[in-house]
Amino acid sequence: MKHIQTLSTRSLQESMKKGGCGECQTSCQSACKTSCTVGNQVCEQLKKN
Amino acid sequence: MIHQYQNNGFNIVLDVDSGSIHLVDGLSYQLIADLDKDRTLSDDTLVGEYEEKYPESEIRESLSEIHSLEKAGQLFTEDIYKNAVIDFKARPTVVKALCLNVAHDCNLACKYCFADEGSYNGGPKGLMSYEVGKQALDFLVAHSGHRHNLEVDFFGGEPLMDWAVVRKLVAYGRSIEKEKDKHFRFTITTNGVLLNDEIMDFCNREMDNVVMSLDGRKEVHDHMRPFPSGKGSYDLIIPKFQKFAAQRKALGLQYYIRGTYTHYNLDFAQDVIHYADLGFDQLSMEPVVAPQSADYAIRPEDIPVLKEQYDILAKEMIRRQKEGRGFTFFHFMIDLTGGPCVYKRLSGCGSGTEYLGVTPWGDLYPCHQFVGNQKFLLGSVFDGIRRTDIVDEFKCCNVYSRKECSSCFARYYCSGGCAANSYNFHGRIDDVYEIGCELERKRVETAIMIKAALAKEN
Repeated sequence: MKHIQTLSTRSLQESMKKGGCGECQTSCQSACKTSCTVGNQVCEQLKKN
Repeated sequence: MIHQYQNNGFNIVLDVDSGSIHLVDGLSYQLIADLDKDRTLSDDTLVGEYEEKYPESEIRESLSEIHSLEKAGQLFTEDIYKNAVIDFKARPTVVKALCLNVAHDCNLACKYCFADEGSYNGGPKGLMSYEVGKQALDFLVAHSGHRHNLEVDFFGGEPLMDWAVVRKLVAYGRSIEKEKDKHFRFTITTNGVLLNDEIMDFCNREMDNVVMSLDGRKEVHDHMRPFPSGKGSYDLIIPKFQKFAAQRKALGLQYYIRGTYTHYNLDFAQDVIHYADLGFDQLSMEPVVAPQSADYAIRPEDIPVLKEQYDILAKEMIRRQKEGRGFTFFHFMIDLTGGPCVYKRLSGCGSGTEYLGVTPWGDLYPCHQFVGNQKFLLGSVFDGIRRTDIVDEFKCCNVYSRKECSSCFARYYCSGGCAANSYNFHGRIDDVYEIGCELERKRVETAIMIKAALAKEN
């Protein structure tokens, strides 16, 4: 495309189909402890593949 | 839902509900804004509106690209997740992580400490015994269902004050992994005062992550993180942290240099850059969360200054990345392709259900932030969770239970925010902490801009 560049992202709609395994890290178990950030966490299923 | 913003020369369009991110030219930026306000606008109407500024062919070309993204489910999408997330939250949950407060005591007297220098709301000081810790690990295994990876953070107070017990607990955890078909991911958060070679070696063998507390420049750090005598702790801990971080970097292991910024260092980007100048490359710095009455609390009028600081930090990160001496900053880390599924993104942090805090005496709380607040005492590692009513309340906490989140683009990145912050400011766990939200939105925007800048570079 000439006018629009789309960054590669994981489709949230697609993630609804196979997501929800619960193996991912809890939000505060990192460098956080006073806020809540999940966008930077890694999906354990995708990590395996 | 669409969120558009301009930062560092980029026109960024976030299609919030699909997670798609588009970098667009000025014309497309305007067209998308118009269509977001009124989806019935025809191509001809939009051509008429902009033909004095742009050639018709350009406008039609841009509109064609916009329409193709819409067809592909990457623009103007809707939130279709609510029912699925509410069902997901209602499922039987397992405990997958514990914050083990092995020490309700500390050898520093940090002025902003939410743990009240280890006493947590004025409670007694004390260290966790091996027996209590062992019971906590058994409790975790017993309540973890089929979950394989179990997380245990040694926290405090200062956990190195109870180091002998930490060592024994790690050994115990490892000894039952095979039989129980579990894997423990141990982490520790330390102020570094008692750090020595033996502890570093052990942590390099056993700890998935190490969080080292440092607030940045010497004068900033020493002002907020003194010893009880008033003397600063910077000079003692820096050489140890540098050695520890270098070892972990060489071994490919995770660590974080983590700080807290306050009203006293609103120019906190300089503190993060100071970390990098000391040779650290996995960095985190968070705003203090404190009542407005505290002299060091972040005030609403500080927010514009703080937002500018995130921009300054981002530009410096991009510059250093291009020079081959980049570093990571926790709140700018967004995994666009391998990030969490939508359930994780919308279902909250897991406090009170999947994640619990444990006191040195084995009492269970919804998370480390609630420890010491008797209203939230859930039970103990010895007799389990008695207050299932409180757990149920936390189970209902998600993005959809907070009305402010429905109009916020950042909800897929913050998961609805911190329940403890909500409680401390509004007396309920399903509200939002406004200053935290403002800063989180800025961090998400800036993190995406960095991705854009690095994508353009490549």
